[in-house]
Amino acid sequence: MNTLSRSFLTVIIIFLYFPILYLAYYSFNTGGSMTSFEGFTLDYYKSVIENKALMTVIMNTIAVALISSGFATIIGLFGAIFLYLIRQKYVKSTLLTLNNVLIVSPDVIIGASLLILFSIFGIKLGSTSVILAHIAFSVPIVVLMILPSLYQQNSNLVLAAHDLGASAFHVVTKVLIPNIKPGIFAGFLMALTYSLDDFAVTFFVTGNGFSTLSVEIYAMARRGITLEINAISTVIFVVVLTISFIYYFVSDKKIKRGKTT
Amino acid sequence: MRFLITLIASSLLVGGLFLFGTKLLNNTSSSETDVLFVYNWGEYIDPELIKQFTEETGIRVVYETFDSNEAMLVKIKQKQRYDVVFPSEYTVEKMKKDNLLLPIDPDKIPNIKNIDERFLGLSFDPGNEYSLPYFWGTVGILYNPETTTGMDFSTWDSVWDESLLNDVLLLDGARETIGFVLNSEGHSLNSTNKEELDQAKQKLEKLSPNVRGIVGDEIASMMKENEAKVAVVWSGMAMDIMYENEDLIYTIPQEGTNLWFDTMAIPSSAKNIDGAHQFINFLLDKNVALQNTDWVGYATPNQAAFKELDEEVKNAKEFYPDKETMEKLEVYRDLGPEWTEYYNELLLEFKMSLD
Repeated sequence: MNTLSRSFLTVIIIFLYFPILYLAYYSFNTGGSMTSFEGFTLDYYKSVIENKALMTVIMNTIAVALISSGFATIIGLFGAIFLYLIRQKYVKSTLLTLNNVLIVSPDVIIGASLLILFSIFGIKLGSTSVILAHIAFSVPIVVLMILPSLYQQNSNLVLAAHDLGASAFHVVTKVLIPNIKPGIFAGFLMALTYSLDDFAVTFFVTGNGFSTLSVEIYAMARRGITLEINAISTVIFVVVLTISFIYYFVSDKKIKRGKTT
Repeated sequence: MRFLITLIASSLLVGGLFLFGTKLLNNTSSSETDVLFVYNWGEYIDPELIKQFTEETGIRVVYETFDSNEAMLVKIKQKQRYDVVFPSEYTVEKMKKDNLLLPIDPDKIPNIKNIDERFLGLSFDPGNEYSLPYFWGTVGILYNPETTTGMDFSTWDSVWDESLLNDVLLLDGARETIGFVLNSEGHSLNSTNKEELDQAKQKLEKLSPNVRGIVGDEIASMMKENEAKVAVVWSGMAMDIMYENEDLIYTIPQEGTNLWFDTMAIPSSAKNIDGAHQFINFLLDKNVALQNTDWVGYATPNQAAFKELDEEVKNAKEFYPDKETMEKLEVYRDLGPEWTEYYNELLLEFKMSLD
């Protein structure tokens, strides 16, 4: 049974990662296409760096990811604390369900509805609209990432702080937030990865020359796949992989601490 | 708590810096005076010519591409700066109505003399005040003579033949699809006669057993791989496909068909208007047009360049039809929102009736 499950896992991992590795492998190909590997080159990485329009888009993408996850972390943190403090069970579960609905509802619907919203309020499509949209879909994720660590911490600490005369503000800033640090960090990183690779929502709200990497890659691929796309995709993959490893170590620490306390 | 403040503040700061950086990067490029913003269809100019233009005039060209007239229109309406655009003829008419084009000064474009007179002063822009033709073509039938053994495609009605069961591809465009059905009945493809249109719809429904699919760019790959025997396509698209699959033949049915143009025009958002005139004049130059026609492969309205083309290309009647056929061709008119909507509705109903 053990060997069976292990081989099953191996097959699944191969299926999931083979296409990405295949794509990364050919980004170093001198042949210029994905049919046969002729020799090693870094030309495509170089031409990505030299392409000013593409570099602008990459910088836009990073800017949007950082700004939106920054805001989303603040909003999500207070949302999570509020949810944690609610006493009435049905209010709490209703709010939590509403939060989860936003995570599972298709990006296309979120994107289209945001587009309608922005045009009603006369917000010009561009950097602002993209950042607002990214904050909107990141907040529920951050809430969901922070909530478990709130429940994991020792709730007596909060009561003790109250007993010892701490004001509500001090309870939140001195007790609650330091206790759930790993959760906040995990939420921030999750928001960052979601923002970096989002296509569907962003596709609706970009405009006026402002574009992010995933939207740009889609436009490029319509004109036929060049190995430049492979090169960018490889870079994104490595970045996202790194972030998820950091996230893994952070959450790993959190679980261990949860066991010892 | 300090950790949280550091995290948020640094992410916002770094993000803001990046955003500011890209704004700075783009501003320096667009404030240069000797820049020309060209907005063209993808793969629709020989890139060498852009370099040549910069060498001759010192004007740096910022070249962007679009994939549909509608996408281009959106950008122009949002006042995005472009100095030269390449709209199709019905879009020229629409843009003219919406005041999105600037008049072209013929005195600044001496190479107008190279354009074949047949392609000047057409209904969509009489007097060529706002546009000059870039490339032109038709809508016709692309077929594989081997798999359709001995069939004659000289009329539109041949597409309805029973032997083509599930083997015909149509373009996903209301004007194109309804248009060729109207042509097959001998009506104008700009018809605004409800009876004619409803009759066309009934005739189209009879075609449904033969229809393999109503598709866009996928026609190219499907025809290349011989997945379907017959397709109703634009001549330009047909040329591209025939380049890769030499068995195929393109033909213009004798009832007549659509004559389309992609034109050069100066949008209202243009800033370098002198440069735009220079660029249009440059593209109309005999040698430039010749090189560009070789590279793009579409039919050129430039008579001077046409004369220099290879005999083989010049004599290809399906792409440069003779006078008799030319007389039967018709340019799309902008029918106004109401009738355009009706055409779209007819095609949509047809698409829904397909399985």
